[in-house]
Amino acid sequence: MSTDEFRAKALAWLQQNAKPFDDNEPSSGGATIEESKAFQKGLWEAGLAGITWPKEYGGQGLGTAEQLAFNEVAANFRMPVGPFVIGLGMPAPVLLEFGTEAQKKRHIEPMLKGDEIWSQLFSEPSGGSDVASLQTSATKVEDGWLINGQKVWTSGAQFSDFGAVLVRTDPTRPKHQGITMFIVDLHHPGVTVRPLVVATGDAPFNEVFFDDVHVPDDAVIGEVNNGWSVAVAMLRYERVTIGTGVRARANPLGYDALVELVRARGLDGDASVRRTLAQVYAKESAMRSYSAVLHQEAKAGVPIGARGSAAKLAGATFPLWVSDLVQDIFGEELALQNADTLPLTRSILAAPGGATAGGSNEIQRNIIAERVLGLPKDAGVDKNIPFNQLKLSK
Amino acid sequence: MTLIDTADQRDLASSVKRFVSGQAPMSAVRETIKSDAAYDPQVWRRLAQELGLAGLAIPEQYGGAGASWSDLVVALRELGAGLVPSPLLATSVLATGTLLALDDEEARAAWLPRFAEGTAVGALAVSEGTGREWALADSAVTVSDGAVTGTKTAVLNADDADVLLVTTSAGIVLVERDAPGLTITPVDALDLTRGIATVTFDGTPGRVLAGDAAAALESVIDLANLALAAEQAAATKACLDMTTEYAKIRYSFGQPIGIYQGVKHPLANIYTDWALTDAAVRKASESLAEGSETASLDAAVARHLASSGYIEAAKQTMLLHGGIGFTWEHDAHLYYRNAITGNVLLGGPTAQQDRIAATLGV
Repeated sequence: MSTDEFRAKALAWLQQNAKPFDDNEPSSGGATIEESKAFQKGLWEAGLAGITWPKEYGGQGLGTAEQLAFNEVAANFRMPVGPFVIGLGMPAPVLLEFGTEAQKKRHIEPMLKGDEIWSQLFSEPSGGSDVASLQTSATKVEDGWLINGQKVWTSGAQFSDFGAVLVRTDPTRPKHQGITMFIVDLHHPGVTVRPLVVATGDAPFNEVFFDDVHVPDDAVIGEVNNGWSVAVAMLRYERVTIGTGVRARANPLGYDALVELVRARGLDGDASVRRTLAQVYAKESAMRSYSAVLHQEAKAGVPIGARGSAAKLAGATFPLWVSDLVQDIFGEELALQNADTLPLTRSILAAPGGATAGGSNEIQRNIIAERVLGLPKDAGVDKNIPFNQLKLSK
Repeated sequence: MTLIDTADQRDLASSVKRFVSGQAPMSAVRETIKSDAAYDPQVWRRLAQELGLAGLAIPEQYGGAGASWSDLVVALRELGAGLVPSPLLATSVLATGTLLALDDEEARAAWLPRFAEGTAVGALAVSEGTGREWALADSAVTVSDGAVTGTKTAVLNADDADVLLVTTSAGIVLVERDAPGLTITPVDALDLTRGIATVTFDGTPGRVLAGDAAAALESVIDLANLALAAEQAAATKACLDMTTEYAKIRYSFGQPIGIYQGVKHPLANIYTDWALTDAAVRKASESLAEGSETASLDAAVARHLASSGYIEAAKQTMLLHGGIGFTWEHDAHLYYRNAITGNVLLGGPTAQQDRIAATLGV
């Protein structure tokens, strides 16, 4: 099948099964988990899920051209795939890279079919950007491990079946060297999930508590005490997911939505408003081009590597920048609206979250400076000290 | 749409890069700056003839290589990175683009072969001051009985040109160098690496060229935006590389300054902006080469991002180098001068934003 035929197939399926964007509808869409699961299953059955992934684990075994064709077509549809974005964007590629054959056979296809929803559990209340200072522990017992502690900022934990959980397995080693990643069944009775209300008033994240949660030995992803390198790989996938994913038209801080709102308010005759819109378009268009460049280079054998951090940084600074610009455009109206009456308002309040999720802007800048530009790395006073002798936040 | 260089383009880029570091390094650029000439004729001859850049995008029937604009963009990138003074932009982009977009076979046949072999320089005399950088129908330069009268400003490489293409209220006019009543006054300009002149016509004989001048000029604006954006994006990367290397070897408080976040973060920001701009230039380059309907939009986007990003990068290059970056001997000011000039020549920041908005239909 040629790329054009694939694009036509994707378009035909989406026209049958997904709603095109209607900007009068609230952006939350309102699909239930069951509806999302049914949609994802249909997507997989139509050969449109796991497009570039190996066939033996349920993928389609196709190339970047097909993936880009799908992204392009899909941007015009409202796809209720939110619950799967994390699992398919981060844990799944990490399992493909580090997992055992049994783990890949067991989990990848169910994830693609929407039968299993996954979360990623790294962040802890005491650590912030310093993820490797995590304190949730796993203690060796005869038939596996017992996990105790707390994670935070976990998206989708309330409806997830499994989590990729990063825990400390040896506190006598320096902090990066005593960490292990486990596959944890989030339906275990020792797991408690509590919603976390954020600045917008919504609760898109959770706190997750582990109380003597038992996991078997074969739940380790990669090797015991080598979880940090697995986590670094997952964070790299996360940056790519955040920075270069399918860019939905409905983003209220994006050009398409802004130009409609500007027209609806009759502000499109104002030269300075038009110039502001031009700047927004230019940056957004360049982000799309950069994403295409990275994909094409990856396909040609040039790894994306730490450049994913540049895509993530651009994607995170864009809504913060547009948040400033729209205040000039819409003026007083912004003070008289709220997150429920004007979606733009919710996006403005949500923008700072995007600049911390998946590694703050400052962390991304460090990564770009050190790993792309080759600037010297700060030695880090905690690097070679056993974790249990470090000063930690409480 | 392919946004990464083809194997041929990578070869071209590396041979131009090799030429720049061997034959036109910054020390040679500084010699040219000290001289009265806008560029080193030996360097231009070799760029034009040995590397074949002058005729790269000129069709084979006029003696060129018949390559695409996106190939010429690859060469412009490398020359822009090294601030190499040459009439390539004036001749092979602006003048060539104008002749190709018009429909005057006599002018094409007379001049394109000479441009292609690097034996003639062309210049596009279009600006009449701020806000009137692309004057045509509104031009104050008039033609009466084949005689041109008026003044053009900021004409690139006019002093070296064998032929001038002049936008007037009567269309685009071809004026030859030895025409009576033509006065070319070189400007001691901000940018030390570009030849810029004021040109006055006082009843100067010229021939109005056949073709749709307005449509032709529109496509030349796109080419100018793309070419400048390509030079600027590459110069931005040169500034970034220069400053990054310095941050690795300059020590303060017992450590290389590149270890401090106050230095790391501005460099990471410049990298990120450059990466987006470079991608936008590649998109514009392909759009123009393919004749895409978004070509004008993509070219203006690339120029808008490249011009503003280069200003920031050149400024930060001076700042992050500290005192040494403020000296005449350091190259930082050469880039800063080039950045400011490129930002305002041939349509400044608001003109680009207006062009983006207009092509988007906002």
